[in-house]
Amino acid sequence: MRVRTHLRWIATAGAAALLVSGCSVDSGGSSEGGAAAGAASPAANCAIATAADPGNSQPADDTPIAENAPKLAQKDTYRVAFSQNANNGAWRIAETQSMQDEAKRLGYQIQVTDAQNNQSKQIQDIRSLIAQKPDALFVAPMTEEIGTVIGEAKADGIPVFLIDRTVSDSQAKAGTDYVTTIVSDFVQEGKRAAYALAKATGGTGKVIALEGTTGSSSAVDRKKGFEDALKECPGLELVATQDADNQRARAQDITESLLQANPDVTAVYAQGDDMAMGAIAAIRAAGKVPGKDILVVSGDGSKEALQAIVDGTMAANVECNPRFGPKAFEIMKQYAAGDDVPTKILNEDRLFDASNAAEFVNQAY
Amino acid sequence: MTDLATRPAETSVLRKIDWPTFIRRYGAAIVLALLVLFNIIFTENFLDLRNILFVQLRQAAPTAIVALGMALVIATGGIDLSVGAVVALSGQVTAVFLLDGVPPLVALPIGILVGVAAGLFNGTLVSRFGIQPMIATLVLFTAGRGLAQVVTGGRIQTVNQPIVEFLGLGVVAGLPISVFSLIVVTVAIMLVTRFTPAGTKLLAVGGNERAAGLVGIRTKRVKTMAYVVAGGLAGFVGLLELGRIQASDATNAGLNMELDAIAAVAVAGTTLAGGTFSPGRTIVGVLMLRLLQNTLVAHGIPREVAQIAQGLIIVAAIYLLRRSRDAR
Repeated sequence: MRVRTHLRWIATAGAAALLVSGCSVDSGGSSEGGAAAGAASPAANCAIATAADPGNSQPADDTPIAENAPKLAQKDTYRVAFSQNANNGAWRIAETQSMQDEAKRLGYQIQVTDAQNNQSKQIQDIRSLIAQKPDALFVAPMTEEIGTVIGEAKADGIPVFLIDRTVSDSQAKAGTDYVTTIVSDFVQEGKRAAYALAKATGGTGKVIALEGTTGSSSAVDRKKGFEDALKECPGLELVATQDADNQRARAQDITESLLQANPDVTAVYAQGDDMAMGAIAAIRAAGKVPGKDILVVSGDGSKEALQAIVDGTMAANVECNPRFGPKAFEIMKQYAAGDDVPTKILNEDRLFDASNAAEFVNQAY
Repeated sequence: MTDLATRPAETSVLRKIDWPTFIRRYGAAIVLALLVLFNIIFTENFLDLRNILFVQLRQAAPTAIVALGMALVIATGGIDLSVGAVVALSGQVTAVFLLDGVPPLVALPIGILVGVAAGLFNGTLVSRFGIQPMIATLVLFTAGRGLAQVVTGGRIQTVNQPIVEFLGLGVVAGLPISVFSLIVVTVAIMLVTRFTPAGTKLLAVGGNERAAGLVGIRTKRVKTMAYVVAGGLAGFVGLLELGRIQASDATNAGLNMELDAIAAVAVAGTTLAGGTFSPGRTIVGVLMLRLLQNTLVAHGIPREVAQIAQGLIIVAAIYLLRRSRDAR
């Protein structure tokens, strides 16, 4: 049996189809998912403008099953450990909180260490956690290079579950040295953002994109997903892409410069929420109305971004869910029960827009 | 005959100009003029007043204010690596007070005081304890940002208050606040350095500290004051940056601002050995480096390339600085 099928967070596109006059779009288009009217055929210049949110992706069918990792006994309660790589920034704080909350809810004991963004400290942390012989060990690896210490857990018969990042294949084998990796699919996040942007704009307009730190896997993958999806939407022209390093002030400066050089830009895709907030400030400073003159779509799903959707300054947001707790413990229980667990599992991300942001804003991190 | 008579006269006029010195002094202004010309021709809407005031100048103003403080410190033969961290610390402290409900009339001066205190700390280490400026200010360069992160637990704090919005988007006399502040600060510094003994003392200390001491200048006090002013200005810029993003960001506020300021002073043709101070050229240096970055970004050239371009310009400035000294 496969781990349960992933829920698809399909925005109810058909039902919510709004009446936008034909497929022409003024830049002040609705920030709500504005699909084409009733029987109208999809916009000729944008195949994805009327498509539903593609939802979460599925792991490849040939993902192997974790067979050779240490087994986990079925018990009513467990004593687990979690090695966080750096408990700072809203995202990681939410991730740690989620692990602790879910453990508490299930009545498990959990011990958490914080490596403070220091790789050698994380290796020490993991060694001292192994020495305490927990039933299972969760690790959010700082880099891919901490694989050898993962193998030490195997030697002590402790099953390891990696979350949000993975480790180098040459140092530790999935399904052998550790059970599985639970990660977000950044390519899919970029793709969903493109769909959301196409929908919000009706499939026409000029777009600028703000990327996260050059070379980081999230930036590379989101860019790929976004740009590949945009190929199906020639009506949306990507006029400029810049690296804003996930920084608010830098995103603001860059957006100001780009808006000045491209005054007819009608949409911004920011890979992360901090950059989106900077872009919104820049749009305001340029004397335009965010959400009306220029639509902003972003990714992360922070509280601030959801509030911006509620306030109408942001059109849509693709979550990069930091709440790994429920999924992580569910997988652990399935593994203990002897179910087949694939060696790679994709975390579920939600799509937020005007239809649901108000509902989730208070739970957002 | 006339030809022969005039030609030597012409060449002698050209020869009279000390070209290396001329380019060192006005090179940044020439590059700035060329960049403006390029943008007028190739960048849409560049000449729009809104763009000039609210994009180009507004982006450059905070760095320019910090650079003026830096130029004062450099004039005494020192350097202040801590200003970027002080920008972050001041913004964080002010944000925390504002979020706690402290009225802006109290919270904003506290931010500036944080900068003044940092300057006093730097100045004391340098002048009383004789620690090398680069090492002395390295203390707050690292500890200041660390402290700023501790204050808020590393989180970006959004401050949705009218005063913060005013600092970021407010308009005074038709100018964005940061640009208006830059003008006020520049005029104040020019008046003090030109028309009071302070300016002479400053340059005397930077030119030859021992000689300045022998003629009765209290060199330690002059040096400390330069760091205090630089710190206070950085504290004030912390408030501007808080307003600009409507939030305090300990990790990124003022990041590398000290280096941008030093670069601006260097491309303005000021020797880092001390003894010279030119607020006007310092501002031109900031504007030039900023416009260079913005021009490249606006034309779709990656930011990394813009950074390389900035490095090359600094190399050129250093080369000219050396040439003009050799020529002397």
